[in-house]
Amino acid sequence: MPRLTRLLRNVSDMTKQSSNLPEAYIKRAMDQVEWKTPNAIQYRQTEIKRRKFRFTTNRPWTQQFRQQNQPGTHRKKVFLEPVPEWTFFKGDRVEILVGEDKGKQGLVNYIVQERNWVMVDGLNCHYRYIGKKKGFPGMMVKSEAPLLVTTQVGLIDPSDGKPTQAEWRYTEEGEKVRVSLRTGRIIPLPKLAEETPDYKTKSTYKVQEKDTSADQLTSITFEPQLKTFAMEIAEKMGIKEDRIPRKSFWY
Amino acid sequence: MSSRLYPIYQQGNPQLRIFLPNFFMKLVKPSDPQPPNVVQFIVPVQMTRYDIKNYLEKIYSVPVENIVTHVRMGKFERNFKGYIIKKDDYKVAYVTLPRTEKFVFPDLFPENKQKEADKELEKIDTLKAEWDASIKRHKHRQGVPTWFGL
Amino acid sequence: MTTDKYFKILPNSAFIHTSGSHKALSEFFDNEKNWGESEVKVGRAWKLDELRIKSNEDLHKLWYVLLKEKNMLLTMEHAAQEENRLFPNPERIDKVEESMKNLEDVVKERNRAYWLLETGETGERPSSLIEDELGREVHKMFDEHPVPMDHESEDTISKWQDVRNFQRLMKEKEFLEKRRALRRVRSHVCKLLRRFPDVDMEKLQQQYPEVDVQALRKRKDSRGHHDKNLS
Repeated sequence: MPRLTRLLRNVSDMTKQSSNLPEAYIKRAMDQVEWKTPNAIQYRQTEIKRRKFRFTTNRPWTQQFRQQNQPGTHRKKVFLEPVPEWTFFKGDRVEILVGEDKGKQGLVNYIVQERNWVMVDGLNCHYRYIGKKKGFPGMMVKSEAPLLVTTQVGLIDPSDGKPTQAEWRYTEEGEKVRVSLRTGRIIPLPKLAEETPDYKTKSTYKVQEKDTSADQLTSITFEPQLKTFAMEIAEKMGIKEDRIPRKSFWY
Repeated sequence: MSSRLYPIYQQGNPQLRIFLPNFFMKLVKPSDPQPPNVVQFIVPVQMTRYDIKNYLEKIYSVPVENIVTHVRMGKFERNFKGYIIKKDDYKVAYVTLPRTEKFVFPDLFPENKQKEADKELEKIDTLKAEWDASIKRHKHRQGVPTWFGL
Repeated sequence: MTTDKYFKILPNSAFIHTSGSHKALSEFFDNEKNWGESEVKVGRAWKLDELRIKSNEDLHKLWYVLLKEKNMLLTMEHAAQEENRLFPNPERIDKVEESMKNLEDVVKERNRAYWLLETGETGERPSSLIEDELGREVHKMFDEHPVPMDHESEDTISKWQDVRNFQRLMKEKEFLEKRRALRRVRSHVCKLLRRFPDVDMEKLQQQYPEVDVQALRKRKDSRGHHDKNLS
């Protein structure tokens, strides 16, 4: 039922893209399966698992996220204003519209799309203690508080340096671009937008030990032949087979 | 040699050949003391002794003398809600290499690297110790800023 | 034969001391410099398009590279679990599995093309939508049999009354589930309107096409603690 699954918010595309992790891993790391039928033919496969998660600034595959969504706990539903098209990216210049730092501009350094949140580098900060123990108040650190993209921050239009609403449109060449609604100018994507823990930009990726080289990856070795995979490999390995399989019936 | 669907056996059919086996094999630390030429594996339950022999000899080119397999029952656990759950069964294979071969399970977590990781954790402990010391020094003027003593 | 079983005669090569198998078994473990590390960096999985340009022979070789890598990772993960230690970068397993799945898909694609060209059938396991005993439409994967289906020995007892009763109940259940789901969406939209009176109605309608947002706006549930209420 698509209707039901849409109400339960899942991990957003921005989070997946910025982490550069396989989707299967995120799913596996988040899974809290209480009970599952054994993997055998006599069982109709069912499982009991947690469906509602409270998304926070901690990423879904981390230990901290698991702590905040401990098995057996229930947290109040969070209502979000619908944002059909996400227009905020890491490295974007934004202006803060509310709070202590109202009117200040800064760069986006963290995005939580599941909650419509962005964090602005060095602005809208609060102080908190970490490593609190009995008899020790902990270490005080400064950290940015999240801001809602719908009402609390505005994207800066580079042509006049003032906050604006943005929209995705297509150019005549068919390119998808971000456009300022107020002036109609294109707001280019920052370079930091494609940053992941593995690389800053795709071009500066450092090749690891087990990676396939670009030449090997792009070399075309496929030659179409009228053979199945097994036939071709058997021939290459020198396996000869002339027995014809008997007729079988599928039902 | 795979967990996909096999064609049924009929007399006179061509030999079944698997070109893309999808069975895994985990080499594990022997749970009990074993002779030096015995290696312990965890394998899928569907995998037979012949599969294991072929797998090791063809893919890893390890000579195999003998194989003993057991299906071990998965553990029963009580989960946080109080009901009992059972983990999946698994198959253990004891593979005997030729008598002249020796295999020792390596130490995968060397101590010197462990110490480096511990140092990071110790940071917060040292901070706590410093805090305790300062508290002790200013025992008689608690709740007062430190510059008060100047 | 019996003596051979209990007193195996050693082959000639066995008298030469070798550590060949020890070296081969070391493929089950990660590179020694990665032991005890907290982070091991790797690239990404193979994509379908990258595998499509490779020959069958290359794919066959790559499969075994991936299989060995997966075995290595599972071995290291198990060892880490046993020792209560951290297994660095567990997403490596998923990357390998994704590559293997993509590789298998490409092989299936090629085989299907061959069978369709030669026989007009896909050459895969046949399946079809059939009506099961309870009158539901289910997707059944067929099994292979050496003999054709025996229609005569099938159950001939008529169950139409039971089937009809079941169908009626099933339809009722489906209807109730559907109604509940719609109600859930409706109440969710109302709560959204209550909290965000300035929300873009078009966007909201776009996101929840099964409900009439303008009508819900006038409902009592949509009244919020502000002066923008309609009713």
